[in-house]
Amino acid sequence: MSGFTTRSVHGERRGPEAHGSLRFPLYDSAAFEADSAKDHELTFANRLPKHSYTRLTNPTIEDYERRVQWASGATGVLSTASGMAAIADACLALVSQGSNIVTSKRLFSHTISLFKDTFGRFGVETRWVDMLDPAQVAAAIDADTRLVFLEVLTNPQLEVADIQAIAKIAGAKGVPVVLDNTMATPYLFDAKAHGVAVEVVSATKFLSGGASVMGGLILDHGTFDWKKAPNLELLAAKVGPAALIARLRRDTHRNLGTCLSPHNAWQLTLGLETLALRADRSCANALAVARHLEGLPKVVKVHYPGLPSSPFFALSRRQFPRGAGAVLTFDLPGKAEAFRVLDAFRVVRRATNLNDNKSLAIHAASTIFADLTPEERAANGIGEGLIRLSVGIEDPEDLFEDLDQALEKA
Amino acid sequence: MRLIINGEEKRLDGEAWTVEKALQAEKIANLDMVSVQWNQAFLDRAAWPMTDLKDGDELDFLFFMGGGSR
Repeated sequence: MSGFTTRSVHGERRGPEAHGSLRFPLYDSAAFEADSAKDHELTFANRLPKHSYTRLTNPTIEDYERRVQWASGATGVLSTASGMAAIADACLALVSQGSNIVTSKRLFSHTISLFKDTFGRFGVETRWVDMLDPAQVAAAIDADTRLVFLEVLTNPQLEVADIQAIAKIAGAKGVPVVLDNTMATPYLFDAKAHGVAVEVVSATKFLSGGASVMGGLILDHGTFDWKKAPNLELLAAKVGPAALIARLRRDTHRNLGTCLSPHNAWQLTLGLETLALRADRSCANALAVARHLEGLPKVVKVHYPGLPSSPFFALSRRQFPRGAGAVLTFDLPGKAEAFRVLDAFRVVRRATNLNDNKSLAIHAASTIFADLTPEERAANGIGEGLIRLSVGIEDPEDLFEDLDQALEKA
Repeated sequence: MRLIINGEEKRLDGEAWTVEKALQAEKIANLDMVSVQWNQAFLDRAAWPMTDLKDGDELDFLFFMGGGSR
């Protein structure tokens, strides 16, 4: 059993479920009774693999995490309430007051706020660099750098950094790379093979598929020796490669209460089973739509790393052999034209999520990047006429037709 | 042989005990998920079969659940 989908569908086959259920049951329970007081003591000390309280662990959540681990090949997996919770948990496990994070100037706006505002208030500095120039990463790292953070594909610029080169630079300086792989997921991008230490994913997107539940994931790929991480050094001496997961489970994640709900874990396990099918279809549709848009006169520019016209085409083919993701953007002359097109869509929906089964479009400047000044938006490559389109699994002809009729209104 | 396993004193018959044999004797489930501490220091799983135990050694078997401790 080696293929991603076979592993996702079947899991590890750890013996029959008590009633022969083909689906692992949903344990929608907050607490679990111990067989004895001694067992309870051992469970709380992590010396017995049993469940006590769902904020800590839960059988359904555990099954989901092990399924993700089995499919992705990660060393350790921990699920969280949302993608932002995964980023916050993973980073907080590594940083402390006076330390710094080296990251990209191109980040999801809430991640920017997390680093700049939330972490900033607790004395964690963020250093913003251009990830397209790995030399800037090398120059920004110093003795107080605890992690390098970047996104697999920037949103909405869709820039592609050479992740292997960045991981090599960071690794040589004893710093782990934390990658937000939401846009690609472990199916489209093999983070471990590119030297990434920790992968964070918003499972709400591609994994959920139907945008039915929130969820996040932290995957430790076992590529970084946690004895080199100043805040995990002592823990690594005691628990070895499990140091990051142990820090999360016994400290950061446990104390912040950022746990996934068992119900969501059950839904996400269902989503995981068809992730590859949906991602393949969405990527093929995205490429077809990008090509279609390139031929339309009212479109100023199409941005999709899978297009030969993209400056990231060659790197994208190397890093994402299964497809360059489901998100593309296109520029119209201005905000008025963009709004007219958005309001004219009949199939594509106006919504902020991405990697849904449905195609979703949003005017980035007035919504997800509204907090930025016009100058900041311009510096971030977010034009006033830019529409982000997350391409779903619909029949491509229907998408072409919808785009054609909407663009006539531009 | 007298060992301290998960904080409790235990007696194992005979002398030739390795960490791996002690894990089996203690019927530790989910071996792929367990982290072993030998005398309060992490012991890599590759070393379990060749690590000989001696009288008074401490062994701790820790679980971080989920996909957590390979």
